[in-house]
Amino acid sequence: MQPHHRSYWPIVAALTALSAPLVIMYVYQLIDTVTTTAPGSIIPNGITLQHWQFLSQPITRDGPTIWALAGNTLIFACSTAVVVTGVSLTAAYALSRLAMPGRGLFLGGLIVLHAFPTLTLIVAVFLILQYMGLYDTLTGVILVKVAFELPFGIWIMKGFYDSVPWEIEMAGVTDGASRFTVWRLLVLPQVQPGLAALLIFSFLSGWSEFILPLVLAPANAPQVLATYLAAIIADDRVADFSLFKAVSIFYALPVLAIYVIFQKKLMNIYGGGSKG
Amino acid sequence: MKLVLERFTKRFGATTVIDGLDLTVADGEMIALLGPSGCGKSTTLFAIAGLHRVDGGRILFGARDVADVSAQARNVGIVFQNYALYPHMSVAQNIGFPLRVRGESTTQIDRKVRSIAGLVRIDELLDRRPAQLSGGQQQRVALARALVREPDVLLLDEPLANLDAKLRMEMRSEIRRVQLETGITAILVTHDQVEAMSMCDRIALMKTGQIVQISSPAEMYDNPADRYVASFLGNPSIAFLAADAGEELRLAGGQSLGPAGRLAGQGPLELGVRPEHYGPGKGPQLQGKVVMMETHGREDLFEVDLDGGGRLRAILPAGSGVRTGASVDWGVAVERLFAFSPKGARL
Amino acid sequence: MRQDRIGFLFITPAVFAVVVFYLVPVLMTAVIAFTDMSTATGIRGGDYVLTESSLRKLDDASLPADTVAQLAEGGFVVDADGLAGIEAQFGAALTTRIATALLDEKFDNRREIERALNDLRAPELRITRDRKAAAALFQRSVLNTRHDTPESLRAALSVADIPLADHDQIVQAAYTGWSWTTRNFELLVSLPSTLRYALNTLMYVSVTLVVFNIGLGLFLAISTFYLPERTSATFRAIWFMPRILPPVLYVLMWKWMMLDSGFIASVLAPLGVARINWMMETEVHAWVAVILINGVVGASFGMIIFASAIKAIPQTMLMAAEVDGASRWQQVRFIILPQMRWPILFVTAYQTLSLLASFEYILLSTGGGPGSATEVWAMAAFRTALNNYGGNLQYGMGATFALVLVLIGTALSLIYLRFFNFQALLSKPRIER
Repeated sequence: MQPHHRSYWPIVAALTALSAPLVIMYVYQLIDTVTTTAPGSIIPNGITLQHWQFLSQPITRDGPTIWALAGNTLIFACSTAVVVTGVSLTAAYALSRLAMPGRGLFLGGLIVLHAFPTLTLIVAVFLILQYMGLYDTLTGVILVKVAFELPFGIWIMKGFYDSVPWEIEMAGVTDGASRFTVWRLLVLPQVQPGLAALLIFSFLSGWSEFILPLVLAPANAPQVLATYLAAIIADDRVADFSLFKAVSIFYALPVLAIYVIFQKKLMNIYGGGSKG
Repeated sequence: MKLVLERFTKRFGATTVIDGLDLTVADGEMIALLGPSGCGKSTTLFAIAGLHRVDGGRILFGARDVADVSAQARNVGIVFQNYALYPHMSVAQNIGFPLRVRGESTTQIDRKVRSIAGLVRIDELLDRRPAQLSGGQQQRVALARALVREPDVLLLDEPLANLDAKLRMEMRSEIRRVQLETGITAILVTHDQVEAMSMCDRIALMKTGQIVQISSPAEMYDNPADRYVASFLGNPSIAFLAADAGEELRLAGGQSLGPAGRLAGQGPLELGVRPEHYGPGKGPQLQGKVVMMETHGREDLFEVDLDGGGRLRAILPAGSGVRTGASVDWGVAVERLFAFSPKGARL
Repeated sequence: MRQDRIGFLFITPAVFAVVVFYLVPVLMTAVIAFTDMSTATGIRGGDYVLTESSLRKLDDASLPADTVAQLAEGGFVVDADGLAGIEAQFGAALTTRIATALLDEKFDNRREIERALNDLRAPELRITRDRKAAAALFQRSVLNTRHDTPESLRAALSVADIPLADHDQIVQAAYTGWSWTTRNFELLVSLPSTLRYALNTLMYVSVTLVVFNIGLGLFLAISTFYLPERTSATFRAIWFMPRILPPVLYVLMWKWMMLDSGFIASVLAPLGVARINWMMETEVHAWVAVILINGVVGASFGMIIFASAIKAIPQTMLMAAEVDGASRWQQVRFIILPQMRWPILFVTAYQTLSLLASFEYILLSTGGGPGSATEVWAMAAFRTALNNYGGNLQYGMGATFALVLVLIGTALSLIYLRFFNFQALLSKPRIER
């Protein structure tokens, strides 16, 4: 609603004041990566690309290259996205549409898990991966990440399936198609927006994940960008905020790109916890 | 193909919604399941389609009992209220879908699609998407998709409910034409009496899981089995008057309709008078006052409060000059009125 | 294929994931909380090894001194292994000689076997030093040998002629694996840090939730609602970013803002304010940092939920209020806020649960410090079990911490279930077969 007859500058002023610290952080996050600044100052005094040297040589000697880490992170995020989406696509359809014994139990379980604070299970999950022999492997972290994302994914996909008209499936069934064919040829195309949204969401979630790789795949060297960045920030031998910022911008580039392209969709799905 | 429901029973959980329903539809006949929402007509339709489980009784397609046959294996065609076209497929792909899942060759599918599209007159639209079609066109596509596999039975679930008034008239006759041309056995589910009467050979009027009366539209209108049937059919609807039949047929309000005739000695009962059987010079006169008048163009509809109580409706050719508030002494065609016992049974 | 079969097929991968990574972990957390499992005990159940230190413990624990001495020295057996050693060191002649005379003989101590060897009058053993060396080859100590099972250790003890009565005590002392205990719970109740973590968690969850998730979230949603589309989109984007940025990057920005070489310090320095670490200087600084960092992310969640709830309010309702002359504040107070009841309840329930378990931002910013000023319960569990400085990870104790959260989480999730119209959710599939 846009009340034309009322001025809204007081609101804008209040919001601007509140948002200023965030905006300052964003702006400096960007300009610090390409400028030099005298110690103790906040005004840049020169332009440089030196903070971006990590692209061609490792930051710490005999450390991993940024590209190897980016590759690992990409594998991690993509596998997470694909598996979460794949498993959610089938499970959510079963919960939304198929008559089967125990459906009420599964649905109740889904809602409980949807809210359940998964990170409290990290101690036990750590031990389970040890027992399974998957500790300190990317596979192990992916499995856990997928499991932790699943309740949300299934919930979101179920919402999309619920909005497909029953009549489409009824028509398909009387047309002679099996429920599997109906799902594959008639229903899946209707939930493609949901599929895309979930793929994007779980990719971002995997790309940003920090705790799970930290705990479940510490290795001797960090395996993904999140743990690597955290490690160099924590490392007392390197104390160069401009470098950290450059690395983290490199790290956040896919996130920013996806955000710019899919802004609307993302806002919806991040609020999607409440929609059924 | 002849379709028979024998002692068909359907339960949802603990509630039995349809208990031992019998229905026979002759080969090539089009029958309407008519009734208010919740009467079980759609449930019956879904059971025939195989979408609902049958909890008792038999469903015969010809001689074959299909009660335990899956929807996929039944060979019925169904048209839904919202058409249920597959939005991501072209019209041709929509119509060809039933043939595609049966594994027919593309040339054969193409031939059959073209032929059925010709029948329902959508030859020009085959490459479009459903979203690019008008409601009537979508309805035709849905009909073509239901018919292309040459089903044993065509099921129509409120097919006209989503159309505007003008298109509804057009599609009424179109569906009937196609049904007659293909000679397919068809069942129409509707709550609209006009649809049922204008499209079908026979009407099965349903109420709370039972068929109250099944007969041709004219027969049902002229000879309703009970008060419920009488009240359901006819627009404007029939009016009821409380009365007492001794020697004379006397209204509860005190006025008399003359000798009771065959009803003599029945005691308290209810009279049903259709609007077309009440008006100037139709029979024994009743004193009353016009309380409402609606102009429908070709004719006018009146509501008349009788002196002493009771209300009748009349429909007269336009131009009678009678206005709201006028006192009238119109007559009732006594030979055409219906009498019902206090419990609603036809007398 | 029947639809229930397809259904089970479709849901199996998800159920598998849930069982392996939810059900089993919940049970395991409960079970491990009753053990002393740690890096030292290993996680697979242990071996049986008698070490010098376990011997000392046994001595303290009043095992008969003779037995301890016997364990320490071990016995002597003339067996094939020892003979092989003799052959390598002294040649075949002596080997044959010893084998003929002494094969399978047992000696309780060094003196006896040396006397027996001396009695052989073998030329190779004329020198005492050689005799001693030969005797040593037959020494069969139970010390420092790993046994997979208690039976194997018992057998070794029998061979070494350790009195049967002492076996149980020795086997117990030799066990290196974890064992059942309720000590974790006793510790949990008695340690003062427990209360500290609990209070920290309460403070962290409640302030973040009330002030930011709900308070700031509502303010952002309502204020942007009244702005022209482009302006409101800009502000929403600014506040949405923290939610979508990787936590490591997001916290880095705050560090740059608050550390002693950072933005705040640099801006204030010319004004004569001493450069301090605004994130860690005092407990208060740390708390403000922790709550701000979590709060801003939380506010964006609230903002999204509330904004979509406001959008769902019929426009005509607000228009009617405008026409009726309601001020903007009155609109908010009498029309918008009453409609926010359910969204607020939802955000409260959902965010309480996720805040309870989350410690990512704290770990990255203050690390729980200074001291353990900002250490919350979930982080204590994490540190104890998975990431302490001492290096001995206390899985059992960590699981005990986690178990408390798991129980609270389960209870709250079940309550959360009540927020949903579960009956509607259960509506029967319309294709029955």
